[in-house]
Amino acid sequence: MINIQGLSFYYNDSKEPALDNINLNINVGEFVGVIGPTGAGKSTLTLCFNGVIPHFQRGDFYGEVKVDDKDTVETDCARLAYSVGSVFQDPEAQIVSSIVEDEIAFGLENLNIPREEISTRIKESLEMTGISDLRHSSTTQLSGGQKQRVAIASAIALRPKVLVLDEPTSELDPQGSQDIFNILKRLNDVYKITIIVVEQKIQLLTEYCNRLVVMNKGTIILDGPIRTVLGKQEILEKIGVHCSPVTHLVYMLKKQGLYQGELPINVEESYILLNNVLRGIKDGV
Amino acid sequence: MVEYIQSDSLFHKLNPITKLLWTFAVLILNDPIAIFVILFSNLLIASVSGIIKQILPVIKALFIFSFILILCQIFFVNEGKTLFYAIPYFNLGKVTDIGLDMSLVMSFRMVATVSTIPILMMTTPMTDMVVVLVEKLKIPFKYAFMFITALRFIPTFMGEMEQILQAQMSRGYHSDTKNPFKKLIIIIPLAIPLLVSSIKKIEKMAISMEVRGFASGPRSNYRKVSMNTYDYYAISVFIIIIIGSLLFL
Amino acid sequence: MIEINNLSYQYNNGSKVLKNININIKSGEFVAIIGQNGSGKTTLMKHLNGLLKATDGKITVCGMDASKTKTSILASKIGFLFQNPDHQIFCSNVFDEIAFGLKNLEVPRSDIESLVNEAAIKVGIEMYMHTDPFSLSKGQRQRVALASVLAMGTEVLVLDEPTTGQDYSEGLEIMEIVKELNLQGITIIMVTHDMELVALYAKRVIIIKDGTVLEDGPTEEILAKEESLALSCLKPPQIYSLAKKFHKQGFFKDSYTVEDMFDEIICYLEGERDASNG
Repeated sequence: MINIQGLSFYYNDSKEPALDNINLNINVGEFVGVIGPTGAGKSTLTLCFNGVIPHFQRGDFYGEVKVDDKDTVETDCARLAYSVGSVFQDPEAQIVSSIVEDEIAFGLENLNIPREEISTRIKESLEMTGISDLRHSSTTQLSGGQKQRVAIASAIALRPKVLVLDEPTSELDPQGSQDIFNILKRLNDVYKITIIVVEQKIQLLTEYCNRLVVMNKGTIILDGPIRTVLGKQEILEKIGVHCSPVTHLVYMLKKQGLYQGELPINVEESYILLNNVLRGIKDGV
Repeated sequence: MVEYIQSDSLFHKLNPITKLLWTFAVLILNDPIAIFVILFSNLLIASVSGIIKQILPVIKALFIFSFILILCQIFFVNEGKTLFYAIPYFNLGKVTDIGLDMSLVMSFRMVATVSTIPILMMTTPMTDMVVVLVEKLKIPFKYAFMFITALRFIPTFMGEMEQILQAQMSRGYHSDTKNPFKKLIIIIPLAIPLLVSSIKKIEKMAISMEVRGFASGPRSNYRKVSMNTYDYYAISVFIIIIIGSLLFL
Repeated sequence: MIEINNLSYQYNNGSKVLKNININIKSGEFVAIIGQNGSGKTTLMKHLNGLLKATDGKITVCGMDASKTKTSILASKIGFLFQNPDHQIFCSNVFDEIAFGLKNLEVPRSDIESLVNEAAIKVGIEMYMHTDPFSLSKGQRQRVALASVLAMGTEVLVLDEPTTGQDYSEGLEIMEIVKELNLQGITIIMVTHDMELVALYAKRVIIIKDGTVLEDGPTEEILAKEESLALSCLKPPQIYSLAKKFHKQGFFKDSYTVEDMFDEIICYLEGERDASNG
């Protein structure tokens, strides 16, 4: 689905690489979380999936990025849009139109999709994101969470195989954030869209993704199933990435030799294994 | 002020062309009474469309501006019967009946025509406007879109301005100074953050558009903007009013 | 310090955003105000320094009637740190940026330099004094904004979502500085929806729902009230939820942090081991 080899990128006038020799392969149907401290290059990486780098953002680009068998250097953003949908942090700055259905139609119109087809796709996108009732609403009067859902609906209207999101819940409250992740889960489970999310809300992210990529200073330092990556807490702490408190608690017990199983990612799992630990059973679940 | 307000009123249903025609129709009329009638009908249309609350501040501002215009104009007209002097003792500031007439016409016409624009913007979805500009007025899509998007961003920037003002006031910033030069300098703590945040927002917007294939080739149109029965009725009413006023007033 | 009596606020169109709020905050407290988006917590916050004026009721901040005093005057007593530092940065160097508030308060020139330097050292940006703030990272810009408020020497500091949009270590740095300030006697009011943050730093929690005070009390007590939190679409911090599950078994009744729980587990297991050995 996505194959990246030897990717390095320097922003204009910069001597330090924003991305330094990235190698990454993502398969169809995965739900990947990308985490790391500020300045690690996470946003820069997402811009490489959708072609903004190198077509829109100038700089020195090395290596190869292939999305859905298309080379991002040789394919322009518009054609990449058929394969990759993008959602960004700021709900305000993504919405172009004054009415929700026009916003969803925007990308479809740009790519000259016929009118009847547009109508069908609008309906589908709205259903997939659970906002069919907002079809004729004015976009300026929506809440932040609703705006992000419109942004997602607009991105998936082109039926991309991959959806890339850069801190989509940054400006949302806990309920709004959870709603967004529930939608992403549905898109991943039901519609088989590959999801790549950059997030700072690790507690929330780890409950949904199945693979975690950790970046620092432009490189990928960890990449694997969530529990395995979370198990490397020393590395994570060193770069300033903080996991869920319950995961950290069990990690501390593991270091003490009181537990040998996998790390939990939520309260329910922690409860079960902690019960066992208190009864002296080391293997947990 | 130029935000689209959703509603199901008659005016919302009209084709933008019809509304544009109505905006221009007012320019033809000369008689103060006819113009006053148009102004009144604007207010009527605004209330029927459910946007009267947003229109009233605009009308108020326009009247204040037009009053200033009247003052600039009225003292320079010498024809006609003198009605009174602004400063009677020195016989300065002559106000004649023709002068008064002309000034009133000019100011009412300005208020009447200009007030049609916010009504137009508030009752027409942005994409319809773009479609009309591109299809009927043959303006290239990029420019029509640029123009409309600039308008669409006005409420966003006003919101940013509000937040910036609050942030600076919380640091003790105040803008009460009588000195006009100081008044210019005092804008800086507001202007610079606004400029910076506007540029950032625009850049993000540009990327968001780019990844959805903006300006990458020929474009289809989702919205169909066509004339319907209401439009024909409305246009007939305009024509009747215009002819009637030209003949009888 | 801050007395809010029957405060109400409604928009021009009549919709009531705040209804009969009564809150008393004493000097030196560390209070978190939480609630979902639209609950009125931000509106309430803006009443504290006069950005919004109450339509009914009274609010006194450090002896001044906040509904009748200009924000620029209240700024000498109560400082605000907003979410987005880019909404206030406009100077060409960090020194001037930090000095801005002091100039507004008409602090004598001779005092400005030392106050600015002190504030910069407190937040750890003294090496950037002559740097263009726009060239700094977002986390550093937030610290410039913080220094700018600190320099004004206010008795109360209000934080609006201090960790939103930041990574963990940046947020932690800011919070540790704030904690230190609180230990020195500055009253802290924090509006946030980060429950882990509330659990770590706040001593008192006020939940605002639909424009009224739903709960008001010590942190451990309020964060344990799952029903009240649920009403506001908030979840308790993870450790609280986990600890609660064991209350029936008699565990973790006073454990509120990872360290507390860890220590209690170690103690218990050692106790069990000793019991079975001895």
